[in-house]
Amino acid sequence: MNRDALRDQVKDLLVTGLRLDVPAAEIADDSPIFGDGLGLDSIDALELVVLVEEKFHVSIPDEEVGRRAFASVSALVEFILSERG
Amino acid sequence: MPAAVAITGLGAITGLGGDVAALATGLREGRCAIARLTAFPYRGRCDLAAQVPDAEAGSHGDRLPPATERRLSHADRMALAAATEACRDAGLDAPSRCTAAVYVGATTGGMRETEEAYRRFRGGQDARFRLSRLLGTPLSTAATVVSQALGLFGPRSTLSTACSSSALALAAAAEAVAGGRAPVALAIGTDQLCRVTYAGFDALQALDPSPCRPFDRERMGLSLGEGAAALVVENVDHARARGARLRALLLGHGSSNDAHHVTAPHPDGAGARVALEAALAAARVPPAAVDYVNAHGSGTRQNDAVEVGVLRTVFGARLGRVAVSSSKSQVGHCLGAAGAIEALITVIALEQGFLPPTVNLRHPEPTWDDLDLVATAGRRAPIAVAVSSSYGFGGHNVTLVLARPDAL
Repeated sequence: MNRDALRDQVKDLLVTGLRLDVPAAEIADDSPIFGDGLGLDSIDALELVVLVEEKFHVSIPDEEVGRRAFASVSALVEFILSERG
Repeated sequence: MPAAVAITGLGAITGLGGDVAALATGLREGRCAIARLTAFPYRGRCDLAAQVPDAEAGSHGDRLPPATERRLSHADRMALAAATEACRDAGLDAPSRCTAAVYVGATTGGMRETEEAYRRFRGGQDARFRLSRLLGTPLSTAATVVSQALGLFGPRSTLSTACSSSALALAAAAEAVAGGRAPVALAIGTDQLCRVTYAGFDALQALDPSPCRPFDRERMGLSLGEGAAALVVENVDHARARGARLRALLLGHGSSNDAHHVTAPHPDGAGARVALEAALAAARVPPAAVDYVNAHGSGTRQNDAVEVGVLRTVFGARLGRVAVSSSKSQVGHCLGAAGAIEALITVIALEQGFLPPTVNLRHPEPTWDDLDLVATAGRRAPIAVAVSSSYGFGGHNVTLVLARPDAL
């Protein structure tokens, strides 16, 4: 799957999975997912780990990996691509 | 004996509309909010309810963290809407709210959201059960988010005594201010429709297939509703000192239990009678001074018969001069919210000199023709003292005695 399509899927998962009240297209590629922008909290973080693992068949085993994977939408896309090999 | 306390602020969101003004208009116009159930798909014997549209409960993002706001249950949103209106109505500024106590009555909290998450999980739409959907389930969540949004730091408690929950919350609020534990207290009732209660009442054959008809000889049960109400309670001196408008007085309350059965009221009404007599005694009001009874009036065959028996015993020969009506005929039975909603309706009745009706009551029981059941349409009447009773499953009985402020 190409990067652009995966990026759209990730944004769509954020909006539908966490029931966010923002259009997917308005989510920035390179802003921190858990910064102030989207108003996410620690419960969202827990859910997002589960959602990403389920949908993209990757594993986020610890906080260290999570921090790297969720640095931004772009970082998450790269993480998913690298995990899938 | 605790002194009378003042009610200085009202807020409500019911099937009759999103605020107290809409509720008052609906009462005056004798509207019935009971219609086709749409809150969730349901196939059973009955398909009626008095609903509050999701959009009407509003968003509260200006006062809560976005993630918290996003996950609020409908019950929490309704509680927030009612509490916000009540604080504004009472003119409570942030420093006054700071010391306020909060008492909430509820029975199922955000159960509907949890049920929906379970349905999605079972249906394969979610591969795992979404744990965040459980956050609205604790009954205490409404009190938590209301305190957080409005900045209330006083004592806080959530009471769950079935359908008398928020009548008891109002009693607790009155005791808190009368006992000096807080200068101001907010009493809130909130409950939303959910599958568990709906299917439960349906299975008990307690739901009327037509909009409920309390006190009617053809009554077949209740109609469920949802909503929230909030009342600001404070000591009379405190209210006067800050220039607050006294909307009504809560003169006293009484509570009791039936010690009888998980759903059925005790057939001789002993518990309900104890609550009513205790409330009148606490209020130092003789039965002869009562002008109006906002009855529990659920519309089940058992409740209404037991309740009329209790009123006959307590009011005796004077019963014909006490107006009695059931607001459940208009807003449905709002369970944990019913006590607060009906106490608030009783305050409106006192304030406006208006007896709210028992709509849908077309064929009164012939043996009850000595009662003034305010059938079909409400009417003007200068009432000074009124009673509101709530009887919960399991025999949780609470009666409140309310009065116009000039009754002091």
